[in-house]
Amino acid sequence: MGLLALVLGGLALIALGLAVRPRRASSIDFYLAGQRVGVITNALAICGDYFSAASFLGVAAAVYVSGLDGVWYATGFAAGFVPVLLFVAAPMRRFGQFSLPDFLGRRLASDRVRLAAVAVVQVIVLSYLVPQAVASGITWRLLVGTGMFGLDAYATGVVLATASMAGVVAFGGMRGTTWTQAMQFVFLMAVLVWLSTLTIGDGFHYADAVEDLSREPLRNPALVDGEWRLRAESNALDSSAPARFDQPGARYSVAGQLMLLMTLTLGTAGLPHVMNRYFTSPTGREARRTTVWVLGWAGVFYTFAVMLGTAARSFIFDAAATAPWLRALTVEGVLRIPEHALLVLGRITAGGTGLALIAIAALVAVISTMAGLLLAAAASWGHDTFAEVLRPNAPQHQVVLAGRLAVVGTAAIAAVVALNLEPASLSALFPSAVATMVTWAFAVAGSALTPVIVLAIWWPRMTAAGAVAGLVTGSVMAVALFLYALIASDTALGTLMLTPTPIAAPCAVMTSVLVSRRTTVPDDLPQIWVRMHGTAADRAAEHLAELTIADLGSRSRR
Amino acid sequence: MTASLIGVTPPLHDPAGRDEFDTLAEVDAVFRTQRRIAFGYGLLFLGGVLTIPVLTLFTDWWTTGRLAGWWTTTFAAEGPGLYLFFFVLGVSAASLSSGVENRMLGSFEDSAEDDAE
Repeated sequence: MGLLALVLGGLALIALGLAVRPRRASSIDFYLAGQRVGVITNALAICGDYFSAASFLGVAAAVYVSGLDGVWYATGFAAGFVPVLLFVAAPMRRFGQFSLPDFLGRRLASDRVRLAAVAVVQVIVLSYLVPQAVASGITWRLLVGTGMFGLDAYATGVVLATASMAGVVAFGGMRGTTWTQAMQFVFLMAVLVWLSTLTIGDGFHYADAVEDLSREPLRNPALVDGEWRLRAESNALDSSAPARFDQPGARYSVAGQLMLLMTLTLGTAGLPHVMNRYFTSPTGREARRTTVWVLGWAGVFYTFAVMLGTAARSFIFDAAATAPWLRALTVEGVLRIPEHALLVLGRITAGGTGLALIAIAALVAVISTMAGLLLAAAASWGHDTFAEVLRPNAPQHQVVLAGRLAVVGTAAIAAVVALNLEPASLSALFPSAVATMVTWAFAVAGSALTPVIVLAIWWPRMTAAGAVAGLVTGSVMAVALFLYALIASDTALGTLMLTPTPIAAPCAVMTSVLVSRRTTVPDDLPQIWVRMHGTAADRAAEHLAELTIADLGSRSRR
Repeated sequence: MTASLIGVTPPLHDPAGRDEFDTLAEVDAVFRTQRRIAFGYGLLFLGGVLTIPVLTLFTDWWTTGRLAGWWTTTFAAEGPGLYLFFFVLGVSAASLSSGVENRMLGSFEDSAEDDAE
């Protein structure tokens, strides 16, 4: 039944992508959905883009493993839209381009900036795509259990998810992706509400559960001498006391909390697949209003996700004693792979149907985000590199074809990397492997792109050379610091460097400022400033909309 | 950006016969105001978020206290509390920013229409 549901769901997605694909594919239609996406639709689509497997499975998994410290992932993911609203949304939309590299390239009148931003975007896209592919493999393995085409179950999930989304995006472009992602988020939220309702109906009381879970020290499975055992978590805030579910310290010191929070908060404004959506808004004001809606829905979504992570910890422990299928997944009542938390909770509360529904929702979250990431890759290769630099006079169909080829190539690379990862081994290192891998994408985005974008919008003295210096500094530092973190993972400093943005981002800012002061600004800076911070284009669009509505109204009365 | 560049931007003509444009001086003024708003709210946001680890570090009641016998204060704050804070902050900042734009931009062509009447 689960496999049938997955196949039908996949076919429905492909059909939707084909149905709404632009008939005459121009760049505006392919990349920006014709710039006619309304506030609520765009907010839903941004949520569909943003709430990936890391939000759906990963947040619950992080709370399951680390209790209160796991909640920081949800907080950071939600908080990221505050800087977007305050510093980026409206002015970036008013400037109006196709993508983040396009915006920076035109703002600073430099192809070097454009290409440097394209390189950073590729690192972010792949860092974000791989954990989505991993999550799809995990989900397929748990739901279906068997492989196809000669592959094992995990590999089948990885390949099917990446291949199907590459197809939808290559055919449908942004318009197909927009509506698909909006509906996918609605479905995701509905499933969370449904599962929460069932869980509460089965006797879950949030406060009591937290209190019960906190009576004993927090223990999680670890591989010790080749055998899985429960091991008590150390308390990063007070080494003399055990870590507990409802107390901070099970995973992060105060410095660790701040590093994680800042990395996630600053990273959102540099995520290409999310920020590209803002260029589809009709006006800058609507881009700002869209972000307010996203903040609201993010709060609701993560409130449920955190609650369900807690419920999973409580229910799974109780059920493991009597369910043979659960004993294979747990060690003394605690899951070995925390990303199974919501899936197992679904099965406990609603049997096979519950498991199938949660699995479908998880795959929906994965493929929805994959679609946005693949489209960002398409924009950066097809438009930013091919059309703007390599072949400026290329006809539209060639530009769109270049984008489609980039979609296929990027999906293939992500699938190959995911196929070579083993989630169970990652779970021993990180609270939630999927959420942690996504954090790497946030780290690069927040260290390199966000500082440069914010400076480009709010500091007139920013120059092309300064932007390139900032992009290089931020990305190199972010990658170097978390490579160090992987090597020194058992040290306190190594753990902190898994979230390097609070160190890398200020370095990027300082480098950008120092280099900009020694170089010259674009010649047309006054025009750029009026375009970015003035509202003439917004007002013209709003007047046109008013006239169109008035005209439609008068025609209907005749 | 100087006064000599006022009016350098060609107006955007809309079918209602109005010309939409912003002068450089207007844009410069609104930019400075918006920058103060953005960074002011940014500091407020940072303060709200940093309060939690600071309270964790320097107080006992923050991690052990309970709200009406329910969650610990820190659980309530890190959960729904912060999301509500982000949303209210976002609504306030967006409203103020849009209000500033409405008041400070678009007045040139409005006064030109008034003069024509």
